Amino acid sequence: MVRLLKKLAVLLLVIAGFSGAMNVANAALAIIGNPANPLEGISAADVAMIYLGKSDEFPDGRRVVAVDQYRHSPVRAEFYRKVVGMGPVEIKSYWSKLIFSGKGQPPQNVGGNEAVKRWVASHPNGLGYVDGKVLDRTVKVLLIVP
Amino acid sequence: MKKWLVSALGVLSILSAGQVFGVEGVRVNGFLTAGATYADTAPCLGNTPCTVAPGRGLVSQDGNIANKVGFTNDSRFGLQISAKINSKVDLTGQLLSRARDNNDYAMKANWAFVTYHLTDPLAIRAGKLKLTTFLISDYIEVGYAYPWIRPPQEVYYSNPISTMNGVDMLYRFNLGRFSLLLQPYYGASSGGQALVPQEVVGGVPQIQPNPAPPPYYNVVPSPAGTIAYTSFTADSMYGINVSGGTNAFTLRAGYLKTLVSAPAFNVTNKTATFSSVGGSMDWMNVVLYAEYFQRRIEQGANAAFPDQKGWYTTLGYRIGKFLPNVTFAKLEDNNNPPNGGNPFTTGYGTPLEQSSVTGGIRYELGTGADIKFEAEDVKPLNGTRGLLIGPLPAGKSHVMIYSVALDLVF
Repeated sequence: MVRLLKKLAVLLLVIAGFSGAMNVANAALAIIGNPANPLEGISAADVAMIYLGKSDEFPDGRRVVAVDQYRHSPVRAEFYRKVVGMGPVEIKSYWSKLIFSGKGQPPQNVGGNEAVKRWVASHPNGLGYVDGKVLDRTVKVLLIVP
Repeated sequence: MKKWLVSALGVLSILSAGQVFGVEGVRVNGFLTAGATYADTAPCLGNTPCTVAPGRGLVSQDGNIANKVGFTNDSRFGLQISAKINSKVDLTGQLLSRARDNNDYAMKANWAFVTYHLTDPLAIRAGKLKLTTFLISDYIEVGYAYPWIRPPQEVYYSNPISTMNGVDMLYRFNLGRFSLLLQPYYGASSGGQALVPQEVVGGVPQIQPNPAPPPYYNVVPSPAGTIAYTSFTADSMYGINVSGGTNAFTLRAGYLKTLVSAPAFNVTNKTATFSSVGGSMDWMNVVLYAEYFQRRIEQGANAAFPDQKGWYTTLGYRIGKFLPNVTFAKLEDNNNPPNGGNPFTTGYGTPLEQSSVTGGIRYELGTGADIKFEAEDVKPLNGTRGLLIGPLPAGKSHVMIYSVALDLVF
């Protein structure tokens, strides 16, 4: 009986631990790459440079193609606020200057979490950001932003 | 204006209804400014000294701002299409329709070029390119991208060349948070029309060639209020822009040299140079812009294009969605060669000097739209008419120009 209780307790702890971990994952933003990407991780500063069009390359020199979530996505707003350090109006203003001077184009909008995940899973040089809760083995996590 | 708006709305609705360009690799972006202006004092027109403002007359030197409510000065609409041909090559084209290009509201190709991304930091562009004389020249038509309704005229009116056919190179370095952009270019501009001082365009023929330079020719003034444009070409145009900064700060310097020809003024391949320095900042809610330029044109050609220098400083402070701002600007004669007291018979430049103080407020309408209000106090200086269409009537020393504009980008 005591053994059984112990087992139950362990089980409960594991579940609690798991769901705790899941909660963390829920709240977190994940920067994802293709599983074929040899990088083990990427810094927030490098991600910001890529998303501002200041770099076309991963830190190891391979070409990167980054994608955005749809315009009013809350994940997108969170990503730009936490990783790039800009609000939606600042980002719009920043890109307006580059777009209309023909100096650059922002990352393409491909949709929401699932669409970004699918896109990155099918593009070896892809880079995207998704809500941590949609992560699976089709993509590689390069950075977790709490 | 109406026709212009209808065509703009037409293109917009086609775009939004059809999603014709939803293909991956093809992007469509657009911008629109709808603006109204009113000036409270009309300068004198005609030859006789005037003491009473003629009323409801033209005010700005190109006649687009008047002593009545007008919509032509700032209203415009642009559409940009860019297509990724492959990972190295992009095509970009921009169409522009301006209400000020009256009679014809058709969209014109503002520029179109191909970009070749050689390596990550280096891209080469060729075609019809926007000429980057000043800080915001690249996107001067995109009102949403700057705090004013119109960039300070004391600086931005000084270069009539807005595009060139040629090639440029964008070379970008990143050093941590700091990035540096080098942009050398080479090209030519033809078919351009430049507004020339009314002080030099009188008489038929307007300019009589003079055998021995200097003076190159005799010029005859036209009555105040004359709006005259001349065709010109700018050949062997080369220059470099250097800009650097972080996301919040930008410092920029530019130099441009070209050979100007204006047949109506008997000007052939005269050297013109533009030098400018400036910077901008958008940090901790403080918005700051400042620029200074000098324009120098070889003796003889500066009758049509006088040597000038100018500067402006803008200071703004963001309060939520509001950006109240104030701009001080000045345009001065840049030591045109001595003219023996009569600028009109020696072929030397006509001094046009003015200063202005502008109070403005910008309000963000969500993301990608704003509305702006401005009150600009323009004061012609040193007995010149400045950038106004004529001298101010006796007893008046300045003009107030009120403007409102709505800007969109999509």
